[in-house]
Formats: sequence, structure tokens, C-alpha cells
Amino acid sequence: MDNVIILRYGELFLKGKNRGFFERTLIKNIKEKLGKFRCNFSAQRGRYEISEYADEDEQAIVAAMKTVFGLQSLSIAKKCDSDLHAISDIILKNIPENATFKVKTHRADKTFSLTSPQVSCSIGEIILDKLPNSRVDLHNPEYEINVDIRETGKTYVYTDKIQCAGGMPVGTAGKGLLLLSGGIDSPVSAYMMSKRGLTLDAIHFYSYPYTSMQAKDKVKELACILSDYCGSMNLITIPFTQIQETIHKYCSADYMITIVRRFMMRVAEKVARMRDCGCLINGESLGQVASQTMQSITVTNDVVKTMPIFRPLIGMDKQEIVNISTAIGTYETSVLPFEDCCTVFMPDNPVTKPTIARAEAEEQKIVNIAELIEQAIDNLEIIEIKIQ
Amino acid sequence: MIYLDNAATVKPSKNTVALAERILTEDFFNPSALYYPAIELKGEIENTRRDIADILKCKASEIYFTSCATESNNWVFSCGIKNKRGNVVISEGEHPSVYEAALNLKSKGVDVRVIPLTVNGTIDETKLCEAVDDNTALVSVIHVSNETGIVNQIEKLAAKVKNKNKNTFFHSDGVQAFCKVPLNLSGGNIDFYSISAHKIGGIKGAGALYLKSGVNISPLLYGGGQENRMRSGTENVLSVLSFATAIKDFRKPQDFKKVFDYAFDVLSMIPDSQINGLRTANSGYIISLGLKGIKAEVLQHLLCDKGIMIGLGSACSSKNNRNRTLESMRVNREFVEGNVRLSFSYENTFEEVKNAIGTISDTVGYLRSKIHG
Repeated sequence: MDNVIILRYGELFLKGKNRGFFERTLIKNIKEKLGKFRCNFSAQRGRYEISEYADEDEQAIVAAMKTVFGLQSLSIAKKCDSDLHAISDIILKNIPENATFKVKTHRADKTFSLTSPQVSCSIGEIILDKLPNSRVDLHNPEYEINVDIRETGKTYVYTDKIQCAGGMPVGTAGKGLLLLSGGIDSPVSAYMMSKRGLTLDAIHFYSYPYTSMQAKDKVKELACILSDYCGSMNLITIPFTQIQETIHKYCSADYMITIVRRFMMRVAEKVARMRDCGCLINGESLGQVASQTMQSITVTNDVVKTMPIFRPLIGMDKQEIVNISTAIGTYETSVLPFEDCCTVFMPDNPVTKPTIARAEAEEQKIVNIAELIEQAIDNLEIIEIKIQ
Repeated sequence: MIYLDNAATVKPSKNTVALAERILTEDFFNPSALYYPAIELKGEIENTRRDIADILKCKASEIYFTSCATESNNWVFSCGIKNKRGNVVISEGEHPSVYEAALNLKSKGVDVRVIPLTVNGTIDETKLCEAVDDNTALVSVIHVSNETGIVNQIEKLAAKVKNKNKNTFFHSDGVQAFCKVPLNLSGGNIDFYSISAHKIGGIKGAGALYLKSGVNISPLLYGGGQENRMRSGTENVLSVLSFATAIKDFRKPQDFKKVFDYAFDVLSMIPDSQINGLRTANSGYIISLGLKGIKAEVLQHLLCDKGIMIGLGSACSSKNNRNRTLESMRVNREFVEGNVRLSFSYENTFEEVKNAIGTISDTVGYLRSKIHG
């Protein structure tokens, strides 16, 4: 009798001829996560199996697998020969004497002598015989015992199906550039887009001395936490002080944030093209703050011409975003009190309904836009974030 | 580098560095051991206790070594109030290690009374006396404010408290005062006094608590019975002995007042600035400078790039730039946000302070031009 972890994948079935590519990527991602454990991984028809691991690693492996996009569910199972007594022995060791139970059989091995209902009945009889105080309950059992008889002559027995992250394997949908601030939202949008299979690079704007080195470290920490789900990424930091000082000097205060965000988008688009990213991703949620009204988004969106901007949080409430942030472990870091560059030179009354015409008129006051952008990009730094 | 954050910690003194090498390479023994070199080490600890007692004008047997002043303060607040009975009185300007310890008592149902500061930065003496009553178990007033450098006349305050209730214990956090402000504990009105080694040029990891003889409190830590069974745990020999080397090296150069006065005068002249607290009540080592219209943290970054290290008067963040001490002194909010702390040691020369102050003035001007055009 061996302990094994069965991994199941979902949407991959939909992918027709590309299925091989999707599966290879998923397997690569799983193996990357299993690298730190001593265990055996094997791919079988419609599922994967992790075996020969140390008992004390079991929960850590389960936790690691729950971060792999593309996996739908997993079960911790016992593996034995496809023999009714061997199967029953396992069950008897794992349920209490007075349990209510149901046996559900899946028979992939069509050569097995009994049909699935017959297997369930026979095992049920053995249990009732050995544990006279136990009882069958087909509707609301304490233990739903799954018996999975495979073509290999082996059978898996398990009770729980543990939900995994779902989605598509990271690396199957191309690469995107995430605008990563130190806040709550942008890490969540990274999670959401990785879930759809994107590989990520992240870009972060910092305004030393107006923002602190801790603010930059915080973003690095967020990227490290995200790498658990999103895989290794490059964090590109852009010195933004000069651009912000220039905007502050020449443009109207109420358009400060609008113009700053247009500059961020311009820089991000250029960096995305340099690094072969096919889209930008940000954490905007409609109406959350002045810069995220429909009009503000229209004006900032206007400067990006060659790629889409994905905003996975656009229709979400703050609380929904916070819930995901808490679940993926970024919240605690996001709320550390270091200011990021969005708050530098923040006017008291930012415009909530900016127009493209007025934004362009404000930008006319800055004579060296292209030069400022080039300078910022020339001084970028790249920090490699590896899977923890 | 010009280091003006000496209220945070002081560079270890010359003899302290030499001591560190000796203790780490030769005299590394456990002072409780019974072989000769360990016994000698134990003797050195006792000599250090005497050195501290000489400065505080008390008996050596009244000094107990701890791991830091935070531990000393927590010892008083955890064990100085029997059965959590009676009320506790503290000032609004206490260090967090006192303030939070008091709040912890409050969460357990103890009546904690917090006395505001005057605009001068000292505790409001009238309100303090009003707050003390027959049930007051403990009063704690910081000797020198870690934020403003303002000195509370604790001997006088303790006498007044005892006059109102002779059974009330009086504690003071003396971390920023030790060696810098004269004190005479033999007067007998002060029951507990906390100090720390690294604030005078010793090494981090040693504090001490003066515990007046006859005052009976239980230990915070139990174990091997060190420190006359009052504070168990193997002595941190190096840090404890660094009290002695730091005391030996600590000097008050004749012209240090000149350095401080110069800094005070020139900083006062920065437009739209204010120095918090009454000048004549200052210990002579800390200046709390409020600068209108700038964020203290940004100034700190720029100065750090120029090799000048200063402290912050408030935790600077978008949502949390409160400063309990300054707010109690009713300092205007815009000065709180732009509040920096300059703190000096005897190592700071006139020349370097002059250079630093010049750079600070220039940088404030530069920053304001960037922010306000």
C-alpha cells in the first residue's frame, strides 16, 4: 500500500491539437514546483501521480500543487492491487467503527471481473461485516469512499477531492507586462492573468527620494510572493522622479495624476515591446479612485497604441479584491505603510473626468517628453525573481 | 559620514571596541563558572555595577542588568503593580516601551491615566498631581524625551507624587538622560530607573534597572538565579561590561554646548520651521525640528545620499504620520509631518555639525523649490 497524490487537470481537454503543448507546459510547471521534494512524478492518462515521497512532505506538496494553474483538483490516495480485499483493508484502516459511508467506484479497467456497482456493493458488504456499527448512507455520508480501478492493475482509494487553482498553465498564453505598484490591486491582477496562462514581467515606477527604498523592497517582496503562482519573472524598476518633477512643474495640479499615468503607460508600452510582452496588465477597478473613472481610463488608455491593456479587476469590488489578495498571501505585504510614487505630488482635488484634448494640451507644456521617457528607460534596472 | 542620529544608537566608543575583541577572543567565559578567569569576569561585572551606581548616586546592589531598557521598563510594568490593583499614571510623551506596556495593563482592566504634555514639552505637573490618588500604584515619567530632548524634573515630580501618596511607586525611563543629565537617586523618591548601554557608546544587548532597596517586586524572568535571583539568564558579558567602557569614554567636552547652541541657532533660522520644546529645558543632545511643507522622510533620503544621517520625528506614511509626543505638545500638524530629529554625541565636532546644518538648510530649500515651484 502506497501513499500517492493524484492530480487532475480541467480545461486542457478543450484544446484539441494543442493539447500536447498545454500538457507539456503544465508538466514542466509541476516539476518545477516538485524540484525541492524527493518524490516520483508520472503522467498517466488524464491525470498525474506523485508517489514515493516522505510522509512529512505530503502537506507541503499538496500546498505547492494548489498554486499550479491548470490543475483542477487533487486527492491524497492509497494505492493497492486491484483486489477487493486489499481495497477493503485500506478502507477499514481509515474509517471509524461507527462511520456512515458510501462507496463510489470508477472502473477504467474494463477487464475487471465486476462492474462498478458490483464493486461498490461488495466492498460495502465487507465493511458492514467487519464494522457492524457502521452504516451505509448514499445521500449524506460522513465518508464518501472513491475506488478508482485503473488499467494498470492498480486501484486508488481516496475520500476527499481538494480544489486546486484551476485556470490554464502559466506559459501557454504568451507574456504580459504587469504594472506593479505596492498596493493591494496590482498583485491580484497578476494572479488573475497568470491564471489564464500568461507569463509575466513586472514594471515598477519609483520616485526616490520622494519614495523610500523600503517601498521598492516591498514591491520585490510582492513579486516574490506572486512567483509562487505566476512563476519566475523579471521585475523592471523605472526611476520616475524626473518625470514626476517635470509634470509637477509644468502641468496643472488637477491633471497631475492623469499625466503621470499617461507617462507610465508610454514607458510600459515601450518596455513591453523591448521584452516581447504582448499586453499590459494593471489593477484598475472602475470608479475605485479618481484615476479609475471611465473618463480617466479613456485618457490613459489613449497613449497605448500597439497592444491591449488587460484589467482583470475592472468589475470587482474592493472587498472581493482584498479576499483574493488575502488568499494568495500578498495582502499583508501590500498594506505595509510605504508610500509608492502614485502619492507623490498628489493634488487635493484630482480631476475625475479628464479629457484627451485637455491632457494633450497640458502635455504640450512639456517640451522633452520623448527624452524624459528615453532617460527613464535607459536607467531601468532588472531584478530576477525566481520561484521560491 | 556625519552621524546625527545618536538618540537611536551611538557608535561604540574606542574602549568598547577593544573590549569586544578581548571578550570575544579571550575572556568568553560564563561568569557563573567557578574557575579563576570566570570569577575575574564576574568581578568586572560587579565593577561595572559600581560605575553605574556612582553616576546615578545609588548603591551598586540596587542596579540589575537586563537585556535592554525595553525589558527594564516591561519588568516594572509587569511586576511593579501587585495583582494588577490600583491605577497607573504615565505621560503622553513616554517611549513606546512604557506606553505600550501601560496599554497592555489597560487591556487587562487596569485604570491607566495618561497625562498630557505642556507646549514646552514637559509633563503637565498640575494634571499629574491631580491624577495621583490613594489608589495610584505606579507613576512613570520619562526623564529626557527621546523625541524632543526635553528634560522632566523627575526628582521634583517624584517628591510631589510621594507627597500625595507615599505608597505609589515612581519609575522613570532614563535612557536618553543617563550620563547626560545629572541625577541623584539617593533622595529615595524614585523607585525604578531604566537605562541602556548602547545609547552612550556601549553595545546593544544590555540595559539596567535601578531598583530601590526595600522595594519588593518579583522577577520578570526565572531561571538560574543570576542578578541576585532577580533576573535570570546568562549575563551578556560583553554588552554589560560595555556600560563601563562607554562611561569611561563618555565625556562632555567643554565646548559641546557651543556645538549644540550653534545648531539650535542656525536651524531656528530656516524659514517656516520650528524647534519643538522649550530651549532651556533641553538636555543639550536632541533637536526636534519641524519643517513646514516637506515630508521628513524625503529630506532624510536626500541627506542620506549626501552622507548625513538624521532621525525622523514621525513615522512617515501616507496614512499614519502621527506623533504622540508632538501632538500632545499641540504642535501644528504641518510641522509634525515635516519633523526630523537631530541627535548629537560628544563625538560630533563643531566643524561637522556646521557642515551638516549648512547642508540641511540647503536641502530644505532645494526640496521646497521642487515641491512648491
